[in-house]
Amino acid sequence: MTAVLEETPLARLRALHNEGRIAAEYRTVPALLAEMTDPIDLTRAGQVLSRTDVCDILAAGGATDADTVTVAITGHATLGTLVAPLTAQFARHGLLLRPHVSDFDAYIRDLQDPGSEVYASGADLVLCVLDAQIVFDELAPGWTAQDVAAVANAKLALLERLVTGYTERAAGRLVLNTVPLQRIHTAQLVDLRSRAVLGMAWRQFNIGLLALAERHARVSVVDLDPVLAEGVPVHEPRMAVYAKAHLGDDLLSGYAREVAHLARTVRGRGKKVLVLDLDNTVWGGVLGDDGPDGIEVATTFRGEAFGRFQRTVKQLASQGVVLAISSKNDQEPVLAALREHPDMVLRESDFARVNANWNAKDVNLRDIAGVLNLGLDSMVFVDDSPFERGLVAQALPEVTLVAVDEEPALHVERLLADGWFDALELTDEDRARGSQYRAEGARQELLDGSGSLADYLDQLGVQVTVSRVGAAEVARVAQLTLRTNQFNLTTERLDQADVQQRVDDPAHLVLAIRSGDRFGDNGVVGAVFAHRGADALHIDNVLLSCRVFARGIEQAALAEVLRFARDTGIATVHATYRPTKKNTKVRDFYPSLGFETVGDDAGSLSFRRELTDLPGVPGHLTLQSDLGTEAATPERIPA
Amino acid sequence: MITETDFIRIVRDELALPLAKQDLEGDLDGVVSWDSLHMLRLVAAVERETGKRMLIGSLLTERSLRGIYSKVAAA
Repeated sequence: MTAVLEETPLARLRALHNEGRIAAEYRTVPALLAEMTDPIDLTRAGQVLSRTDVCDILAAGGATDADTVTVAITGHATLGTLVAPLTAQFARHGLLLRPHVSDFDAYIRDLQDPGSEVYASGADLVLCVLDAQIVFDELAPGWTAQDVAAVANAKLALLERLVTGYTERAAGRLVLNTVPLQRIHTAQLVDLRSRAVLGMAWRQFNIGLLALAERHARVSVVDLDPVLAEGVPVHEPRMAVYAKAHLGDDLLSGYAREVAHLARTVRGRGKKVLVLDLDNTVWGGVLGDDGPDGIEVATTFRGEAFGRFQRTVKQLASQGVVLAISSKNDQEPVLAALREHPDMVLRESDFARVNANWNAKDVNLRDIAGVLNLGLDSMVFVDDSPFERGLVAQALPEVTLVAVDEEPALHVERLLADGWFDALELTDEDRARGSQYRAEGARQELLDGSGSLADYLDQLGVQVTVSRVGAAEVARVAQLTLRTNQFNLTTERLDQADVQQRVDDPAHLVLAIRSGDRFGDNGVVGAVFAHRGADALHIDNVLLSCRVFARGIEQAALAEVLRFARDTGIATVHATYRPTKKNTKVRDFYPSLGFETVGDDAGSLSFRRELTDLPGVPGHLTLQSDLGTEAATPERIPA
Repeated sequence: MITETDFIRIVRDELALPLAKQDLEGDLDGVVSWDSLHMLRLVAAVERETGKRMLIGSLLTERSLRGIYSKVAAA
């Protein structure tokens, strides 16, 4: 039996496969893959996983439709080898890949032809994988650097047309990549001046590719340079010559890793909170043993490495990643070190929550999630202790673990390896999030000191503004649809282009909900999507950031929408609720506002409300609106 | 030198193909879900295992796993 215990994670995966249990136990696969560090093992695992039919996995309950990402793969080279690493990389993040691989060198036809698999598959992501041969295949011997520039420019113009065509016809996201220039190209020019010209022309080509993502909201460009800079070869020359595998296995593995991060982002599964252990994670040494002067953050070799890690964490925090601490220490010395240690980069004010105590780490992570009102699955936890990580993995499998070890110079690489906090777009709300969560601490103190919730709300002075979404708010509203999981009535994910389309459509109503209180401005915290039918208003979705739950903001916003509907002659409002794992707490949102449940299709509820009366606006808040000329409803109900 | 048993293990493990003994003899078209990409993975795996470089151009003309194996074993 000991042999079984010593089996590698790959062997355990193969055993699952041989026993026909992959489908039923798909949810245990990410943990197995997390233990695989060799990219070749991950590709092997991907091959094993791709033998199980996606439909079987869905039927066995191993994954849901929400976990499934349909990906069309097209390009210029042999790309079938991408499926295995992509399957594994998606599975690492709990996603299920439904791949559609096109024919060799079919990208132009695929993107032009509305009947192609790229469109017919309804792909969430279309990977148009580009390699240098899209240019060099068109050059006959005798070519010059100028010839390369001319062909590259023509390709760029072609790609621009293909991209435009795609974004007009399809709803998914098109993924391009920068194209590596290799020595087998440059060294074919014998004079160094020409090589320099070629080098410039090629970089212009890649700049042009990257610029496509800047101009088109639903286009992403994977920059392969950083992947190659890790020391990955572009291809294996024999495979490139014999099998047209212009991008080799190692590079495609690195590419698959990046695409999986993108898929996770598109599916609204980006992480929000970074929870750090302290001793030997944030600083060198053990505060309790070595004392405040004994811990290393700078000046020593190891200290420099920890300082580098702290600066990286601070960089993430500046972009909206919420920081917290879970450390086995006494609270006072930890706070003193964060406040007074001369070399510390991260300070007390950088953290939304400092849990330094002797409780088990899973207890602390639960506490942090509760106080910040964020899901455990939005947390990334970094700890150097395998024991603590093992405990958390066991008790809270939804928390993402980053393993660092006794070599602090590798902490930064480990933290950044999986782009946990990647986002399609950063908004002002993201940048201000740190201070907003710290304001949350002040609110918590007010709540603790208040006699009742009603007293608290009265003192909080909540202001709510409902307004039509303007150009400056499109990115934030799209982000809310992508990232909000709990207060999201239908979990319909929309990107910026989708939101803009609805904003531009006179039949649609797209509203931003802003809130603030005496502790500060929360920015855009919610959105309402609705459209006008024959004589009724259909509410497509209502979203609210979890930061501002339980303050009556959603009731106020909906009351205003219904008031506006009635004032514009609408008698009936329809709404729906689609259940997910995360949004059960808003199942009764519409009924609480007087909607009648008129349909139940496997848990998907439809509601209807006649506008003979209107729900009231909670009395503890003030409501402003730009919807109609008439003032917001004067009806008030007690908090 | 790679044994026949090693070879079958490599094909099974690296390609995740359910290989039966008789698949070694028949035409590649008859091997369950064989496609040309498998040849690439197989060569890469064999080279990793043996540390020797195979002549891929000549392997690509083989029509059976037996034929591939004899070239691999002879390398």
